[in-house]
Amino acid sequence: MVELSKFDLSARIGSLVLPYPTVALSGCYGSGAEFAPYVDLSRLGAVVLKSVTRRPRMGNPTPRIVHTPAGMLNAIGLQNPGIEWYLQHDVAKFAQTPCATIGSVAGFSVDDYAYVCERLAARNEIAAIELNISCPNVAHEGETFACDPELTARVVRAARATTDKPLIAKLSPNVTDIATIARSAVAAGADALAVVNTVRGMAIDIYQRKPRLGNVTGGLSGAAIRPIALLAVYEVARAVSVPIVGQGGIETASDALEFILAGASAVGVGHANCADPRAPRGILDGIVEYMTQQNVRRLRDLVGAANTGFANINQIEGDEG
Amino acid sequence: MALASPISALVPTRILDRSEVARDVILLGVEAPGLVERVRPGHFAMALLPGGQAAGVALGIYEARGERCSLLFFLAGDRTRRLGALRVGDRLDLVAPLGNGFDCEGAERDVAIVAGGVGIASVLLPAQALLARGARVRLFYGARTAERLVEAERFAAEGCELLLATDDGSRGYNGVVTELLAREDAAEAILACGPTPMLRAVSAYAQERNIPAQLSLEEAFGCGVGGCWGCVVPIVRTSAQAPSFPPSDADGSDVVHARVCVEGPVFRAHELRW
Repeated sequence: MVELSKFDLSARIGSLVLPYPTVALSGCYGSGAEFAPYVDLSRLGAVVLKSVTRRPRMGNPTPRIVHTPAGMLNAIGLQNPGIEWYLQHDVAKFAQTPCATIGSVAGFSVDDYAYVCERLAARNEIAAIELNISCPNVAHEGETFACDPELTARVVRAARATTDKPLIAKLSPNVTDIATIARSAVAAGADALAVVNTVRGMAIDIYQRKPRLGNVTGGLSGAAIRPIALLAVYEVARAVSVPIVGQGGIETASDALEFILAGASAVGVGHANCADPRAPRGILDGIVEYMTQQNVRRLRDLVGAANTGFANINQIEGDEG
Repeated sequence: MALASPISALVPTRILDRSEVARDVILLGVEAPGLVERVRPGHFAMALLPGGQAAGVALGIYEARGERCSLLFFLAGDRTRRLGALRVGDRLDLVAPLGNGFDCEGAERDVAIVAGGVGIASVLLPAQALLARGARVRLFYGARTAERLVEAERFAAEGCELLLATDDGSRGYNGVVTELLAREDAAEAILACGPTPMLRAVSAYAQERNIPAQLSLEEAFGCGVGGCWGCVVPIVRTSAQAPSFPPSDADGSDVVHARVCVEGPVFRAHELRW
């Protein structure tokens, strides 16, 4: 067993300091409780909860999951009970979660985001808010926000006006220039960026001669998208100086370290939880082994170390502290 | 229906035995102390692939006795081939047991089990439970070819009456198993596991005749433990298996999506709205 306490593994997301850099991603991990029988949630930096919308959503028709050679397509379609029900029935349970819980907000208009963000951020159980402006699986509207710098700014600005809690904007890889979107989100008040959501994709059943997902298209996660996500982190880290939660196909400590060296302060684990619920812990232990070998005591000293010209806000804040 | 969630855990196991019971059909026996007593008929396991990288594979638990459980599966894609490449002595981690399982405690004395293809892997434990309480169990078992009717003799040896069907007529009835089911005397209850078209036909048959039918559904899983909502099926809101979920604007208020991995995989035919 790796001795974690000798190292400073903390990661800062706005005013929120996570004890560990590993984050279980939205939509893959329920509320965390689903995985509690298999893993020690207290060794996670945070759980990002499943996205919630203003109204209840039944989600997409099945099949919603297709396994592909190097990853997984999903098209869940934001199935969720809506914010009112969520506040009444679900949120209180998150107080039991032994790590930070980050709420995830999705919507179909700027007003939706502001409304749900305000209601959810008001709850003590919620440490920060992720704005899911990049869901690829809800008609057109969901992802439109993260594909347009002005719409991104409007959502972030509206959400920013409702809360002082850390705001994380989750960006889409399905754009021409992610740096432009990142700058826009930060200028509008995002404290951190989640980079990136799934890559759009599809699969076809050649015998039935039809798409394999009920929704036709879906979001690809897993190893297939790792280099795409890594480049996105690298580019965003050069464009803005807020913390980045790097995500996209991270399965091992060396994957995670690539994202950290590219400029991510924290790393998200999604699809890898389907392969092994212990993946985030394995990643954490592997990071510590690497730090031991490399004689590095503070994780933040590695953030952006392979990215020349990167403004390392965590390091600056850490040095001041 | 056995509704209580099992106490599942991450169970490290070791491969005790491996046999290719037919071409591209693998039976893996694993040593899993502490697991057997928690397994009920119809439970499944998520088999975590060595080295990770791909999602775990959901497999019906075929046998459970002593300290040994077994998994029976077809080599159908990359993930099952990686499982099939395991050898005796190798480690295999399971998340198990999962799902609600079949209710085998009913009063029916004459039960039909309908299995198609790899669905056979989920019906040995229910057959054993039904036989143990003295029920007559007829196994209606369909596959593409005679060679694919794996383990049929095992069910006969347990005491099931075999009614076999093959798509090519190489053994038993020449046609789909649900046609064979309709030609025979009706049972008092039906348990079924197999491909979705077969389950739909079983469901239609059972509802026409008002026979209670429990169907173990096949659906592509993401996490297998209820975290991703990838493996859902529409069921009536009045079902005891319906998750607590408010009506949504766009969809009818009488139907709700249940997770096959947690609320299922076994559902009552008349409660499905698929």
